[in-house]
Amino acid sequence: MDETVAEYIRRTVLKIPRDEIKTMLQKWGFLSEAQLQTLNFHQIKDNISQEVVQLCEENSADIKQAAVLDIIYNHIYQNKRMWSVYQMKKSGEELEYFDITDFKKKFKGRLRSALKNVTITFKEYEDNAIWIRVAWGTPYKKPNQYKPSYVVYHSQTPYVFISASVLKSNLPLLCQALIVASNYHDIREMELRSHSLNSLKDIVFKRYSQNFQTYYPKPVQGGSVEPESADIRIVQENRSEKERIHRLNQEVFGGGPQPKLEFAQYKLETMFKSDPKMGVLDKKEPFRCLVKFSSPHLLESLKSLAPAGMADAPLSPLLTCIPHKARNYFKIREKKGLFPESFVSP
Amino acid sequence: ENVDPQKTAFLLRKAWTLYSVTPLYRFHRSRLRDYARLLSAFIAAEKQKGLAVEVGVELDIKVAVSSLADLRGSEQDQAAVLVQLSLRSRVSSRNSEDKLVWLGWFCSVYGDDLSENMPEDFTCLPLFLTHGAESYTSMVGSWFQKTFDCCFRRLAISPLNLSWMVAMWTGCQLDRAASAVELVFSVPRLSQPLDISYAIHPEDAKALWDTVQKTPGEITQEEVDVFMDCLYAHFHRHFKIHLSAAKLVKVSTAVASAHCDGIVKILHSQYLSGVLMLLTELAISQIQ
Repeated sequence: MDETVAEYIRRTVLKIPRDEIKTMLQKWGFLSEAQLQTLNFHQIKDNISQEVVQLCEENSADIKQAAVLDIIYNHIYQNKRMWSVYQMKKSGEELEYFDITDFKKKFKGRLRSALKNVTITFKEYEDNAIWIRVAWGTPYKKPNQYKPSYVVYHSQTPYVFISASVLKSNLPLLCQALIVASNYHDIREMELRSHSLNSLKDIVFKRYSQNFQTYYPKPVQGGSVEPESADIRIVQENRSEKERIHRLNQEVFGGGPQPKLEFAQYKLETMFKSDPKMGVLDKKEPFRCLVKFSSPHLLESLKSLAPAGMADAPLSPLLTCIPHKARNYFKIREKKGLFPESFVSP
Repeated sequence: ENVDPQKTAFLLRKAWTLYSVTPLYRFHRSRLRDYARLLSAFIAAEKQKGLAVEVGVELDIKVAVSSLADLRGSEQDQAAVLVQLSLRSRVSSRNSEDKLVWLGWFCSVYGDDLSENMPEDFTCLPLFLTHGAESYTSMVGSWFQKTFDCCFRRLAISPLNLSWMVAMWTGCQLDRAASAVELVFSVPRLSQPLDISYAIHPEDAKALWDTVQKTPGEITQEEVDVFMDCLYAHFHRHFKIHLSAAKLVKVSTAVASAHCDGIVKILHSQYLSGVLMLLTELAISQIQ
């Protein structure tokens, strides 16, 4: 077995938390159950990984198998990576039958014709997701297995999720290979990025509970805003306002859990407007700002702003449009009628 | 006060943790070398007691205490005192330089409020700035407390003071291209905490401040409030969020940046004494 492969397997196993190693090796399926029985999982990880490497040596593992283990690791720990979303476009309306073998062949062919040294690995998962791992080399160097790119493609959709390696220069080639293999004619990057791959899927596949316009809005179930205080001396003075906010929030965000995003960024190039009486800035040029919102769970925290009294309800469409516009990077310019309500002096 | 930029270069672009210090009793500038030796012995003893910072190789801590004559506001101010801790490896060859591991300096810039009416035995240097491991800060602080009967407290910077800083520093005229004026807010009490970074192009921020500030060289609370209200209003117009209800935790400009936990970075020598003057004032109000 190649030394570099041995080292790569050793390092991959080291990344896995000790309690998960056995399960992951079983998922990998490269080592037999009998071989796995010989492993002592109660020692330090250094030793475990050495033993795994020895077993792989017995089975003559090569980089292809090692790459599969890496995909499995990254599939389980997908949220450690930052994912970007790309959308592909078809020229015609034809819904072609998707042939996975054809896809793989064309993808590999396109990459290999441009780059001789590249390791390409595929793994299909039950939810129709095709995971692709690409390790990049140069005409003179073998592929760097430690900085691969990962692609997740759901063949029934035009969406591709890419966690690029640090080597961004390979991105155009990767995109090209994808459209060639999937019979699309164009691909563009969406302004949508997150660590939570599932949340990105929720957003573009519209799998989250959205605000559907109802003609008969249901009344909020018996004042469900806050639990009734046992002490009758405590009265909610602004109960109706709280209920109004709750209802608006439901309408805008829907009742279910929100997709998990960590940040949203807005580049503002709008005018600064103020009450002329204040005698402050009245420039004809935009007031340039960059606003970044960050949170472990951005949409949930935005949803809780109005009930907390921190924001007006309804919340600004700039924020509430994030899931259905499927973007968390925005450039906002002044446009006539962008803010239909007339400006109110502070 | 013409501060030699060479001598103060070490202050710039470092994150300084701020403390207020009560006046030092019977501190004598003639004895700085003695103090260095005593502090060095104190640190060595602390390490032997098991409060060591370094593990493994036995290392000597070398202490240097010096006076920075230029670092003061007026003649009434005491000159700043600098304490440097360096690591000297036992296996050092002649060429190896001692590695600086910790810096701390006491200063007073226009600290007259505190120093006037102060009895002679007391030296007023209300602002203490440190850079380096907390464990060293703790040892140096303990020694000074024991030796000069003074008291150190972390200097917190309130949102009110942070807004003063951002207003003041936004207005500073800089000869070089400036970085953005950034305000960082935190909204902790939600179901999921939210951080908001609001960065404004420095030219636009300065243009706004220039129309707010009525008298050059003077800043009033009202002007700071108007400036902040303008920024809040612009934000609210877009996002419908009341930034004024969030906690301002950090401000950052090309001149300096400050964090509410009492951490400051001074980026531009041009406004060094202005920044120190403001910090001295904060330290004094924390003491009094």
